[in-house]
Amino acid sequence: MNYLKHKLEECKAVAFVTYKEWSAYRTHSLVSVFVGPVYFIVQYFIWTAVYGGSGTLGGMELEQTICYFGVSALIGYLTMDFADWNLQMLVRTGKFLTFTLRPMHHRFFALSQKIGHRVLGFFFEFLPCFLIFLFAFRIDIIPKEMLWTVISVALAFLMNFYVNYCLGMTAFYLVQAGGVRVVYQLLAQIFSGALIPLSFFPAVVQKIMMFLPFQYTNYITAMVWTGNNSIGEMGLTIPQAVLYQTVAVIITGLLSEVLYRTSIKRFTAVGA
Amino acid sequence: MKYIKIYFSCLHTAFSRAATYRANFILGNFITLLSNIIFPLVTVLIYANGAKFPDWNMWEVLLIQSVFSMSTGAASMFCGSILWVTMDHIREGSFETVLLKPIPTLFYIVAANFDPESIGLFLGGLVMTVISALKTGVSGAENILSFLLLFLSGLAVISGMYLIMAAISFKWVGNSRIPEIFDSIKSFGKYPLGIFPRSIQVLSSLIVPVAVIGFFPASALLGRPHRTAFISVIPCFLFFAMGIWIYDRMIKMYEGVGG
Repeated sequence: MNYLKHKLEECKAVAFVTYKEWSAYRTHSLVSVFVGPVYFIVQYFIWTAVYGGSGTLGGMELEQTICYFGVSALIGYLTMDFADWNLQMLVRTGKFLTFTLRPMHHRFFALSQKIGHRVLGFFFEFLPCFLIFLFAFRIDIIPKEMLWTVISVALAFLMNFYVNYCLGMTAFYLVQAGGVRVVYQLLAQIFSGALIPLSFFPAVVQKIMMFLPFQYTNYITAMVWTGNNSIGEMGLTIPQAVLYQTVAVIITGLLSEVLYRTSIKRFTAVGA
Repeated sequence: MKYIKIYFSCLHTAFSRAATYRANFILGNFITLLSNIIFPLVTVLIYANGAKFPDWNMWEVLLIQSVFSMSTGAASMFCGSILWVTMDHIREGSFETVLLKPIPTLFYIVAANFDPESIGLFLGGLVMTVISALKTGVSGAENILSFLLLFLSGLAVISGMYLIMAAISFKWVGNSRIPEIFDSIKSFGKYPLGIFPRSIQVLSSLIVPVAVIGFFPASALLGRPHRTAFISVIPCFLFFAMGIWIYDRMIKMYEGVGG
């Protein structure tokens, strides 16, 4: 119990400092208040034109698709992460040395940083955009299943972090691993469902996606948020989808620990 | 003549640099190309699901998006670095080193920062444009000439955007998210203009003429130019001129710390 309390205190301290640090750049976050709605307007007119008179496309009605894109943007603000960039930078510059000397696992430190950073994102990106979508665009963006949505967002948050942290660890092998990040981001853009709902992809692609991390960072959560009870080609119910997401997060979390223990042996630094 | 010589000398240096780090050059080009050709995938999936943009077949929409990629690649090669170079100099307080050069500041930044990594995007866009054009049966010298005029106008718009973004960075120091604002506005130019309401059509044709980046040149190439296409050429070059003017004005706001 004391251990957990101590960990919580550590997390709170790091998160608070990160929040204060990034508050200096809060206007940077506010860019989202312009960019998010503009992209949404584009999506709104694209899909309104594409649907024309037809009832459903990719198993979704027009209102569901429009709502999906609004929700997808909001999930992005809550789960955004750059642990990969950060870890690669620390390894490349040798600054990671200072973390190996601290009585705290670097992954836990990075996770606490992310929590602080996203709390800021919640106030300066999520909340304004949520209100714009709800009141200006009048989208039915309130989660249908609040509890499942909160769990799914938390899992997407962790999934995004663990995957990015694993990518960051490629720096222990490649030093300059920027290319790996870009390639992953590219694949994630397509297969996380950020560009288009995965239900538009062929059935075989959707099945393969069940075994890859991408859809657990966005698509599944967006479908849970919009209250879709027949998700993807497999027609998953909301509890089933969250269960799949939980299993995926646990596997990725374990993978990140195995990778960390293997990778850290390769780390060399020159005094930072 | 002096400036042409300087420009070509800078180009030579940029290509020599790229040749030195050729693996990085090839990989950089490949990644830039990949990251910019994703969005036609959405179009392909829409048509694969039996839906469509009213009055536009898949290859016609892909033509708009290919021309958009090609314009972005071409403008990025020549002017894309203005933003990042200006932003870095301002943040580091080293813009004096540019101001002290015995040539116009903007010319120096443009010439010294030609970006060979955008060649891949331009060539990729060109190949996709040719394929889409062949599939849609484009023909006629008049259409091609109209396309070239509108394509150049599109380059002026993107270059104007780069200049305005760089100018903003004099005031909004170190904000790497500035391009996101303009990228979101540019996205109106990737799709048939008719899907947007009238207010957005006017805005993206005449005020911030992003429709000239992809939609107008492509529709001219298809032989059915939009009614405002040629009128919008004027605001395009005005937009470019405004970019230069704002950049020059904002340089005066620079507060150095010794370089």
